[in-house]
Amino acid sequence: MPPIERGSTKLLGICEILYLSLTVLAFYLLVASRTGEAHTVWQVLHPAFIPTLFVTTSLLLAILFISGKTTHKMLLVIAHSILIHSLFSMIFPAGDLSGQQMILGRTRLVFDNTVLYNWSVWPTKTIQMFIFEMFRGVNLQAALSTIFARMLSIDVFYVHLSLVLVLWGVFVPIASFLITKTVSGSERAAVLSSLLVSAFPYTIYFGAISVPNSLGFIFFLYSLYFMLRHLSPSQSKTAYWMVAFSVFSFISHYLTGVMSVSLLLLTLAFKAYAEEKLPHSVTARASLLVTFLFCASLLPLSFIYLGLVNTAAAPVFSLDKLYELPLGEILGLFLIGELTYGFDIKTIILVTAGSLLALLWMIYLLCSLKRNPSARYRTHILFLFAAFVLMLIDYRILKIFMTRLPLNAERLWVFRDLIAAPFVALAVCAVFSALETSLKIKSMPAKITSSLMTLSKGNFLRALSLVLALNILIPALLGGWITISLSAAYTHLAPLQTTWYELDAVKYIDQNTKEEYVVIGDIWTIYAGEVIVGINNPRAYYFGEYNKTGYDLFANMRQDPSPQWMLLAMNYTNTTTAYFIVTEPRLGTEEFNRVVSKTKETLTVFHITGEGKLYVFSYKEGQGV
Amino acid sequence: MRGLLKETRQGKVSKIRIKRAFALDAVEKSVVQNKSFLYTIVLYSVTLAMFVNLNSLHSPLIGFIAFFVYFMINAVFLGNAFFKKENAFFRLMMGILLLIMILGFVGWLVMIIYNLDVTMFTLVLAISTTFSSLLNRRMKRNSAAH
Repeated sequence: MPPIERGSTKLLGICEILYLSLTVLAFYLLVASRTGEAHTVWQVLHPAFIPTLFVTTSLLLAILFISGKTTHKMLLVIAHSILIHSLFSMIFPAGDLSGQQMILGRTRLVFDNTVLYNWSVWPTKTIQMFIFEMFRGVNLQAALSTIFARMLSIDVFYVHLSLVLVLWGVFVPIASFLITKTVSGSERAAVLSSLLVSAFPYTIYFGAISVPNSLGFIFFLYSLYFMLRHLSPSQSKTAYWMVAFSVFSFISHYLTGVMSVSLLLLTLAFKAYAEEKLPHSVTARASLLVTFLFCASLLPLSFIYLGLVNTAAAPVFSLDKLYELPLGEILGLFLIGELTYGFDIKTIILVTAGSLLALLWMIYLLCSLKRNPSARYRTHILFLFAAFVLMLIDYRILKIFMTRLPLNAERLWVFRDLIAAPFVALAVCAVFSALETSLKIKSMPAKITSSLMTLSKGNFLRALSLVLALNILIPALLGGWITISLSAAYTHLAPLQTTWYELDAVKYIDQNTKEEYVVIGDIWTIYAGEVIVGINNPRAYYFGEYNKTGYDLFANMRQDPSPQWMLLAMNYTNTTTAYFIVTEPRLGTEEFNRVVSKTKETLTVFHITGEGKLYVFSYKEGQGV
Repeated sequence: MRGLLKETRQGKVSKIRIKRAFALDAVEKSVVQNKSFLYTIVLYSVTLAMFVNLNSLHSPLIGFIAFFVYFMINAVFLGNAFFKKENAFFRLMMGILLLIMILGFVGWLVMIIYNLDVTMFTLVLAISTTFSSLLNRRMKRNSAAH
């Protein structure tokens, strides 16, 4: 970093204060947008939020281009990162629907000491499955959330909602900084990449939901950093760190763990290749290629081996898609993957532009470094290029040649984007440096002004346009990119999120029932129940999301609201009280009114909430049919 | 005259900044030195305070203060033990990340072996404190030997 000048320090100070004020305003706008009933964040988001975010981001980018202390800049980037990942947690009463609520349902059992000496909520029939369950990411996240909640003496609900967004907001920009600095040595590009990691819709989304996979991505990124350090000649102790972070990435989530192990093996191969006396020999290159192919095959094969431990239908290799789908669709899947189905061109550009730019820049760097084989960062860039290509290959294998996968293949895009961010930053910095060179200045406004004064009239306009490009156009363009990415990251089409009255009903039942009880409700009620009392809690039983009995009981109650189903549920769960919940927005007004009027004939109304949108009916043991 | 005043003011501001930086540096040094296990004792006391808070007081304010003290001291221990060459900010952040990993790992193990009730949680904190304190001591001895 160039030394800080007095003029630029003053300007930087003003910009920082302005930026912090805008960030506080943006957080306030999020709090003002908080609602108890919405499908997406866009329905209720304050209209001033997006313009504020755009200005804030552009200002932050301008600050990053002004010389200053890296630590200060990183703190500002962290504040920005937390801001853009907190939309779900700040706007919805129980965060994003489904995934993170399912994890909270399991975490709550640990926090409330509900299930003693049996941490696994899924039945484990075999020893392999027991070990598999032991290493599931949900356990690590449950342990972390419980520890933090106990340390702070607050409910695990608040810790769970903010755990990933805070950890991601703080540690992903830092990891991106460290990676970029390791592959380029440029602090300016490193700081920029810590912000640009938020320019990818999938990374924004995974930083906003509190699931084990997101935790895994964080540890994966650090394992990648230590792998890059291990490739440097003088770094010997980093081997322990890359192994430690890879193991932790594995405990956090299976997918990130397997990817970390793949890249770990690739690192060792690259290290051996770099230390080879004859690196250009056919043997050395062939062994590197074989290792690459082996590493690329690890993830697809690991899914196949899941069948050994998991009783559910295991993933298999299949050519069905090639036979069944039309050629155009296969080509679409190959090129842009899932985006080929029903997404618009804007989303396609937003999701692919960053990684495409990174790929082009990697190729450019490799071509320019080819002339200089002893260049300092050559091995690092080659390694990251290999890792990037490995992600592209694995995604296509999972998407086209495999079926019955336990997760979306699109999660691999997060790995791709995390690797792409440093190269996008390097490309932007190269453009910036080129503009600076043509102006023959450093990026300090005081110098720019003095430089302009000395120019002849003919060159003044050209220089002025370059100054504008440097200080306004580039920050505004990148700021716009990050802002639009945010709009693509948070879905525009979703079911009704967990509402305040669903949470209220679950709390009311729990506070007003002394005996053990079971609740019959739809999947949305189950999600609300998970948030407050957990899943399969013997004291307050909510059926699991995939429990067929629970689903059948609700369907039967809906068709024929009779106490016999309540009795059946009580017998099934060893409880003495049963509740039946119906919600108007979930069933539709007509169906809701029909079910409510019919249920009133046979069951007692226990609680009405949400201005009549939610009814809770109760039935106690011995009440009679 | 005005220029002189401005320079004097700027000089004062930079002096304050330097003083503040030295103060933070001194605090970090003092934590790393951990003379007579002072900071280790503070950490055990904080752990005990969290235990008492969970069992009887239930105060989030006490929780936040204890959380802050616990994280800062342990992060300084770990950051200095493993990332001494990094600058202060990155050293602290890496220390925090390592502490999160240790807490997560020990908590995960305890949860699987037994469960994570209040007593076991206190044990997790005590194990993590002992671990980071010992690491800090060992690394300090190693660097002194060098």
